[in-house]
Amino acid sequence: MLLVLSEEHNEHLGSFLVRIVGESGRIAVQFLKKGSNPKIYEGAARKLNVWSGSVQHGLEGLMYLLTESCKLTISEEDFQDSVLVLGFSEELTELLLQLYLENRKEIRQILSKPAPSLPHYHSLEWRLDVQLSSRPLRHQLKPTVTLKLHLEDGAGRSARVLQTDPATLQHLIDELERALAELKSSHCRRILRNIQ
Amino acid sequence: MRFRFCGDLDCPDWVLAEMSTLARMSSVKMKLLCVQVIKDLLDEGIDYDKVSKLTSDAKFESGDIKASIAVLSFILSSAAKHDVDSDSLSSELQQLGLPKEHTTGLCKSYEDKHSALQEKLREISLRLGRLEAVNWRVDYTLSSSELKQVNEPTVQLKLQAQDPETDSTQTTVVTITADKFRVLLTVNR
Repeated sequence: MLLVLSEEHNEHLGSFLVRIVGESGRIAVQFLKKGSNPKIYEGAARKLNVWSGSVQHGLEGLMYLLTESCKLTISEEDFQDSVLVLGFSEELTELLLQLYLENRKEIRQILSKPAPSLPHYHSLEWRLDVQLSSRPLRHQLKPTVTLKLHLEDGAGRSARVLQTDPATLQHLIDELERALAELKSSHCRRILRNIQ
Repeated sequence: MRFRFCGDLDCPDWVLAEMSTLARMSSVKMKLLCVQVIKDLLDEGIDYDKVSKLTSDAKFESGDIKASIAVLSFILSSAAKHDVDSDSLSSELQQLGLPKEHTTGLCKSYEDKHSALQEKLREISLRLGRLEAVNWRVDYTLSSSELKQVNEPTVQLKLQAQDPETDSTQTTVVTITADKFRVLLTVNR
């Protein structure tokens, strides 16, 4: 499968990348990991004696190239053919290919994160209490388990407080174990085998 | 094999595996590392520079440093949780394969800080909705738009409690008439 890069991309990439490929490759990967830093554009523009906008476009073009290639996990030949369209020298194409292959896994990991997700488990605190008496009734012996489920949801944390008696808790545990055991059933195993 | 410091359960496999990592350090360095780990458990802050200096002799990589801190944290907090005395802890650790000098060092640090650790663990146990402050005021109503002569005392209570789910302080203001307040007091005696 070939990537289709627009005309603009060709112009921006071509003029800028001929100068410093290795360095810009490293900076582009850094930006993908931690977010872009406008100061770097200014600094690089001053060193190269070009307009900072072209530095920005160049780096963004490089980042786009890397993310699109990683998104589709294209093979080496396809990557080389796609970049060939831009008309770079052999050496440049080789450098870009190296950059792509080395950082492929990491970039795929970064790209997998922002998918919409439900709040997920962070930690669980529990406490076992025994109620001895209350206002209407004395001389009781009622055990209860209090749970505080901490959830994490991308941005923030939330917590849910739940209370149950030991019998219900045991039932909950049995149901969850049954759900785990479902993974080992022949139907699930067949599907997992076919995906892998 | 049941271990008391694991709560009469089997020792986790990773703890067993990390015993050899701990044995690579000298026993003096390990005792100092224990002191740092206990400071971390008591929330006094762990000094990572000191830790890396202590482990640099044994040429620990970052994975090894993390593993040794994790295993020491587990042993110390688990022993405090199950209220294990230092002699049993010492014999159980030797059964797991930790050399004698290391074990004596660890148990000495444990014994010194035993009650402090238990106090800290008691503090961080789950507690819902702590009551933080109570303020009160007694008012005497003379008259109102409904009735010319009211002459009623009322109590205003301001309760500040911690919301169990969001851990933020919630303020509740209640106004109680004199009779209701008396009922509240007698019933809760």
